[in-house]
Amino acid sequence: MSVLLKVDNVTMRFGGLVALNDVTFAIEKGSVLAVIGPNGAGKSTLFNVVTGVYKPSSGRVIFDGVDITGKPPYEVAQRGIGRTFQSSRLFSDLSVLDNVIIGMHTRTKTGVLDALFRPGKSGREMAACVEKAEALLQFGSGDLFEQRYRPAGTLAQADRRRLEIARALASQPKLILLDEPSVGMDDAETDALVADIKRLRSEHPELSVILIEHDMRVVEAFPEHVMCIDYGSRIAEGSFETVRADSRVQEAYLGKAAAHA
Amino acid sequence: MGGPASPAAPGSAVAAAVVAILSQLCGAAFLYAILKADGGWEVTGLLTLLGLGFFLLERYPAMGDFVTASLARVPLVTMATAAIVVLGFPFLVGSNTYILHLLIVAQLYAVLALALNFQLGSANIPNFATGASYGIGAYVSALLALNFGMSFWLTLPIAALAATLFGFIIGVPSMRTRDTYLALVTIAFGVVVQQLLNNFEWTGGPNGLVGIPAPSLFGHSFASPLEVFGWKLPSQANFYYLSAALVVVAIVTAQRLHRSRIGLAWNALRADEIAAKAQGINVAWYKVLAFAVDAFLAAFAGTIYAFYISYISPDNFTFLVSVTIMTMVIVGGMDNIFGVIVGAFLLTILPEKLRAFSDYRLLFFGVVVIGFLMIRPQGLFPQRLRQYGAHR
Repeated sequence: MSVLLKVDNVTMRFGGLVALNDVTFAIEKGSVLAVIGPNGAGKSTLFNVVTGVYKPSSGRVIFDGVDITGKPPYEVAQRGIGRTFQSSRLFSDLSVLDNVIIGMHTRTKTGVLDALFRPGKSGREMAACVEKAEALLQFGSGDLFEQRYRPAGTLAQADRRRLEIARALASQPKLILLDEPSVGMDDAETDALVADIKRLRSEHPELSVILIEHDMRVVEAFPEHVMCIDYGSRIAEGSFETVRADSRVQEAYLGKAAAHA
Repeated sequence: MGGPASPAAPGSAVAAAVVAILSQLCGAAFLYAILKADGGWEVTGLLTLLGLGFFLLERYPAMGDFVTASLARVPLVTMATAAIVVLGFPFLVGSNTYILHLLIVAQLYAVLALALNFQLGSANIPNFATGASYGIGAYVSALLALNFGMSFWLTLPIAALAATLFGFIIGVPSMRTRDTYLALVTIAFGVVVQQLLNNFEWTGGPNGLVGIPAPSLFGHSFASPLEVFGWKLPSQANFYYLSAALVVVAIVTAQRLHRSRIGLAWNALRADEIAAKAQGINVAWYKVLAFAVDAFLAAFAGTIYAFYISYISPDNFTFLVSVTIMTMVIVGGMDNIFGVIVGAFLLTILPEKLRAFSDYRLLFFGVVVIGFLMIRPQGLFPQRLRQYGAHR
């Protein structure tokens, strides 16, 4: 297995605040990394650095052998990193279907001149997108497909999370970053989400996943590679068992006194 | 809100065709009535009728869906009816050149509003420089015709390209700003262009350019009356058909872009820029593109205006023109091609018809616009979700 994403000594400062402090990790092709840590630990900042929303103060991000540090987000997306957002950022006044089709932006080519003077070509491309998008909507749990002509803004919370994942998958990424995908889901929906991710991996063995999670039920389901961040620093990394047993992780979650009680 | 299954289309194609024809004839009849209306009471009555219509549409959205679905179900009938209405209207109006003039101006404004709609409607970019692009189109073509004797047909693309270049020039620095600041940058550009036109010597300064020759086609001068099958139409009819053709070009352009990934990308950045970037959309490029497309279409309208009136001055392309165009898009309905055109017609014809109220004309105009926005807060015809395949 080869390394797909390598984050090298990344530090991110906002004025005096150090959001990420010398974080280093790597993820291999086809693997899952679960990132845990208390609120405000810097997990979402990490995603924003990887996807180019923030340019790190120092350090490097290497994706698929290319240095993508500080590259604009749209270019990072074109290189094959898809993502979801902690507070789902859907295109709420567009239909569910359109949201997924927009996710295929990097896979489609129609330019202005083609759109204007070769409507047939543009139309065929769009029809192919619709077909693929409908297949993606049918893939996951829930009934997104039946709701495909609803404005995305009117979806229930669990469906919003599912739609964001479908949209991120539409670009056929090599790496997908899921920022707390189970937020707002009940137990049954969370189980379905875990099953979705597992099925996705078995169908796309090359796809790598990084997920930020608070729900340990989800983390437990992907126990091979877990990393814990606290106050911007990586405090533990390894299998779920090792990380869970780590005293610093327990301190981070429970407080010093409780951890040693 | 239930998930809309297939839109409420009438059962048979014949029924759909009847609805399509009747609804368009109703629209045309209303347009004719308001153009012919004279005196305060008639205009007030017609506006009340229109307001009532929109009130019902707001109250029972299924009505609108039904008509839209009917029109979409029999596209050939719809287009044929529209073509007959547009082609036949001048014959209905006859020798009333004032009405023809109003229709020409309304159609040019419809093109301008459609141009701005790429920005304001699709991508939510408040561009107050559409009036300037319109002016650049008019001046470039007029200068080419006056100084080099170029024909109208040749100046048309040149003016459009010049204005597109201008669109890029405002687009690029505008990308460093957004929202209110972006609006300010475009206002500044608009004012600068107007001031330059006012102060340069070669643009004729405040006196403008006079004596722009009328275009001709296959030896038929647009300044002479148009004769069709023995019917004699005033010379304005030439320009009526010319601007109608331009409206068609603008509609086709708008529709094709809207249905392609470009329209989707614009809509995406309108809804959420950060999410749009995460989908691989080069937001800055798509915004600049919207500026360029806007300027391109606006320049066409400017060229036709210059050759129609045969006299242009900086006063024709003020900041107020840009604001008017923006109001048309907002009142008509953002990102709805039909709505934008209705907005343009309404806001062109209304101030003329309200002359009956003499001194209170502008007050009344404002009240009517606010009234329509109260009845239809999303615009007269709000944007619709895209439908694909069998759903269309």
